[in-house]
Amino acid sequence: MDLEAYVDAQCALLGLKLTAEQRPGVIRYLQLVAGMAPRVVDFAAERLTPADESGNTFVPVAPPLGGGR
Amino acid sequence: MSGGAVPAVGAVRSVREALARIEAGDARINAFTAVLAERALARAAAVDASGAALPLRGVPFAVKNLFDLQGLATRAGSKIEREAAPASRDAALVRRLEAAGAVCVGALNMDEYAYGFTTENSHDGPTRNPHDPTRISGGSSGGSAAAVAAGFVPLTLGSDTNGSIRVPASLCGVFGLKPTFGRLSRAGSYPFVASLDHLGPFARSVGELAAAYDAMQGPDADDPAQVPRPVEPTAPQLERGTAGLRIGVLGGWFASMALPPARAAVERVARALDATREVLWPEVDRARTAAFLITNAEGAALHLPDLKRRADDFDPLTRDRFLAGALLPAAWVVQAQRVRHWFARQVAAGFADVDVLLAPATPCTAPVIGTEWLEINGQRLPARASMGLLTQPVSCIGLPVCTVPVWGCDPAAPHLPIGVQLIAAPWREDLVLRVARALEAAGAVSAPVAAAARPH
Repeated sequence: MDLEAYVDAQCALLGLKLTAEQRPGVIRYLQLVAGMAPRVVDFAAERLTPADESGNTFVPVAPPLGGGR
Repeated sequence: MSGGAVPAVGAVRSVREALARIEAGDARINAFTAVLAERALARAAAVDASGAALPLRGVPFAVKNLFDLQGLATRAGSKIEREAAPASRDAALVRRLEAAGAVCVGALNMDEYAYGFTTENSHDGPTRNPHDPTRISGGSSGGSAAAVAAGFVPLTLGSDTNGSIRVPASLCGVFGLKPTFGRLSRAGSYPFVASLDHLGPFARSVGELAAAYDAMQGPDADDPAQVPRPVEPTAPQLERGTAGLRIGVLGGWFASMALPPARAAVERVARALDATREVLWPEVDRARTAAFLITNAEGAALHLPDLKRRADDFDPLTRDRFLAGALLPAAWVVQAQRVRHWFARQVAAGFADVDVLLAPATPCTAPVIGTEWLEINGQRLPARASMGLLTQPVSCIGLPVCTVPVWGCDPAAPHLPIGVQLIAAPWREDLVLRVARALEAAGAVSAPVAAAARPH
């Protein structure tokens, strides 16, 4: 995986400009995270089904009392 | 207030004494980033003038500097937020503690934006461990733990996203409570990772911890993430002991990623509780990874505008991690949330036949400030991130945890404490506090004021 190219593309998409000083640390950290991510992503692919959707819920926000008819 | 730390001497006198201790000792510890003497003395006078029965009457307390305090910019450990408008009112939990008679005396040091486990803050300097000022206090609520361990105040508040109450409580030798996710209002606190953020108290006794926690419970319409729960007081149940409770010891990851002093602390607590049963949770390292990914991505997204505009104003210890987090593929984060929920279901099923679980809070006692690497389980690991190895899988699924301090477990550093996590099923803060109180009463755990922090 060419992380340098990935970082360039993502930064361009987000409008992030990395300085020469920031870039090595960002790539080093992204490498660390990329090394860990398969622990989650591969497990989800092998062991989880659509029924294991997270259920992260959004609670609709009601208007203040007396705000409607 | 139970615990006896604050005698009935009047709020003004208690606050004056706390201010004097901070003045005399904080230059060595660097726990405080703001001391609010005028405000505190005015409120203390109002408490003394009140005839109301107040459970925390005159108790001086301080808060991690991500809690709003009226008139102060909420800096959240950063340089950037110092330019923010002053808070227009106190955070919800500050208001609740003061409504119960406690008096806020200041704001406390932390890792920038709570993204760290060491409180080696580059803007405000490191908070030093009161039991050995060459060592870290832990973080990110390092100022909160150190201020209690140093005896400056008997009560503080912190936040815990991945371990930021439990890690500093462990390294500074104080009691810390991370309540169930969604239990206490987060209104008026600076967020780090909305999916994982918890707030909670530190104290030197379980009675003080429970009294503060009870005063902060209850619904708050200003916090959309709070789970509606009735107030469930814990203080009246503290002396019920452990009879009838099924207590297990978490093995697997929680043993293998702990160094001998951490394992010794768990063994000592297990012996005191006569707990012999080992409990294994499945896929703990994946849960920890899930929390790691969610934290990195959500934390970064929150700060994206500043990362684009002024990245070099971030602390060098957080900047590159935040920048990298902004670049993570969205699918990693969504899958991490799914794995987190899967893990929560497995663990919930396991609580059918156990009430409280024991695990070390940190892999080791407090490292020396500036430590870069740790050797754990045959692996050379980055020291700062690794302080949360044993807390992250637990907060990932929002379980309530009381961290209790154990002493003399590290032959190489016998003066240092280390914490044990007492973990229960969601909403059972009462159980972890009961067990903590039983251990305290048996003399197995304690939180003495650090000798090194006393004025010379």
